[in-house]
Amino acid sequence: MRFGTLDINEIAAAAPEIDGYGTEPLSLKNAQVLNVTSEISASGSDALLPPSMNPSIPPYVECTVMVFPESPWGPFSTGELRLVGRAGYRPRARTFKTYVDNPKAAAELARRWGFPVAPGKAQLHLRHERIVVEINDERGRRVLDAEMIDREGISGSDIQYIASMHLVRNRADGKLVLVQVDPDYVFTKVERGFSHFIYIDQEAWGTKGLIKLTNPIISTFAQCEVILPKIRFICDPNQNALLSTVRV
Amino acid sequence: MKFGIFFELSVPRPWTRDSERIVYENALEQAAVADEVGFDYAWAVEHHFLEEYSHCSSPELFLTAVAMKTKRIRVGHGIVVCVPEYAHPIRVAERTAVLDILSGGRLEVGTGRSATWCELGGFRANPDETKKTWDEYVHCLPKMWTQERYSYQGRVWSMPERAILPKPYQKPHPPMWVAVTSPGTEIDAADRGMGALGISYDPLPVQEKKLLEYRRHIKNCEPVGEIINDHCAALTFLFCNEDDKFAIKHGTAMFMQFGLLANQIVMCREAYPTKSYPSAGLLPAVRAQAQGPSDTAGVPEGVAIGDPERIVKTLKKWESAGFDSINFLTQAVEMIPQEQVLNSLRLFGKHVIPHFKREQPAQAAAGQGVAVGGVR
Repeated sequence: MRFGTLDINEIAAAAPEIDGYGTEPLSLKNAQVLNVTSEISASGSDALLPPSMNPSIPPYVECTVMVFPESPWGPFSTGELRLVGRAGYRPRARTFKTYVDNPKAAAELARRWGFPVAPGKAQLHLRHERIVVEINDERGRRVLDAEMIDREGISGSDIQYIASMHLVRNRADGKLVLVQVDPDYVFTKVERGFSHFIYIDQEAWGTKGLIKLTNPIISTFAQCEVILPKIRFICDPNQNALLSTVRV
Repeated sequence: MKFGIFFELSVPRPWTRDSERIVYENALEQAAVADEVGFDYAWAVEHHFLEEYSHCSSPELFLTAVAMKTKRIRVGHGIVVCVPEYAHPIRVAERTAVLDILSGGRLEVGTGRSATWCELGGFRANPDETKKTWDEYVHCLPKMWTQERYSYQGRVWSMPERAILPKPYQKPHPPMWVAVTSPGTEIDAADRGMGALGISYDPLPVQEKKLLEYRRHIKNCEPVGEIINDHCAALTFLFCNEDDKFAIKHGTAMFMQFGLLANQIVMCREAYPTKSYPSAGLLPAVRAQAQGPSDTAGVPEGVAIGDPERIVKTLKKWESAGFDSINFLTQAVEMIPQEQVLNSLRLFGKHVIPHFKREQPAQAAAGQGVAVGGVR
């Protein structure tokens, strides 16, 4: 079996500090969630995953934009790029970066769930036959452009979202761990469409030029309630997740 | 009760020039031993691109070799992928007929549609369409096998009148099966008068529930072929050894590793939301079984791992539930040394098979179908 070969030290400095694993769930209502997915070349996937994770067959990336019109910190949006792999038996994704347009929300997302936040702005432009995604960094530079094309209604039960693995440093003991963040979703409307990645600034995402898009898969768009969860599982980023995952 | 071996042909890394050759040679030797000791079926999957998990992309060639090395055991496609991007229906009819001739009428034709994004995406097949294409294939195949000349105008494919040759050796045609993983596929099988080939490693209670639905529906089937195959087969793992503890330790490790490998593959359900794939295929079943309830010795429920006595007890439960046959994965990821796999098969033949009611060999060799309107 193949395992990730990423040197954790390369990304350790950017790992958010987390105040233990006791955060309470948070419900974010009336959210919009867009996912655009594409297979990537297997030649780069191993080097982007920590040794605890395995690349999926085939490897693929997801761009996920979430727009939250209401939250305890006011409206905010997030724009992420993630690489889907496996943690033991489970599909799990490494999040490269989460651009957030609300500093209070960003601080809380990092402190409570370990999101690798960066200041920026993610926008969805809803058209009749497509949804356009734009993610910009804090200087307004475009870091990702993508589209979902030919919108078509489907059932929420057809969607399977992949949970994230965030590298964090636990403030209490200083240890680096991967925390699993697996939100719940309550759907009110779901669509799918063709995936179209237009532009990825790999330097901005820290993917070292290793993401080579090969085969678009599909996009989904949902209007839903997103419930950011309690943290339930963590694992050692350098050890096989099958053996090192523990419940907290 | 019949028993079969089921080949995935896993090839673990690191790969050398000989890795695949050794796996194929070992599998052929296992098939020969299974034939000698009384197994009834040797099934082979059709998978593409599934690194390490299965390197069995041309099962018709492998099964031909199995047929050449054996005398009695029936050879089974478990399954032929009935999706046009994988294989044209005419080619499926032709190559299965050839295999039936070369095996002396020992072919079983399992049908299915693939459940992984890795494979469907690789062939650029549309996951929304596979159930429909499968349905069209299984309605056409028996006619292509039995009619002197055949023409067809359908939704997925068409052909002008031609003689599709050769014809299968078995008359009217080989028994047909459907791979059952997604919920409701057992009903599709029953409604069409086809056998239900369980391939999902589901625990016994789950498979038992599917069996009941199957039995209920097949009474009113509208058969696609000229015979009804009303058999239900389940799938689990087998590792038999004189030493119960040794068997449990190594058999369970094989089972877990296979499950882990299976879960690396991107299933259709994971990547491509569609009503056509309401479940994630076999993977959750493997995971659930690996993490599910075990007996006091740690053997997952329904899995044939242990000494012959333990395995007889396990298989009696499958028999009591009403299954007609159980197929076994006897090797995974080459975790069990070949000599131990062969020993496992021999022990099974000597100490387990005699505990179960058997059809007479002549009946088994003649196939198992019931003619439409006929009586078994």
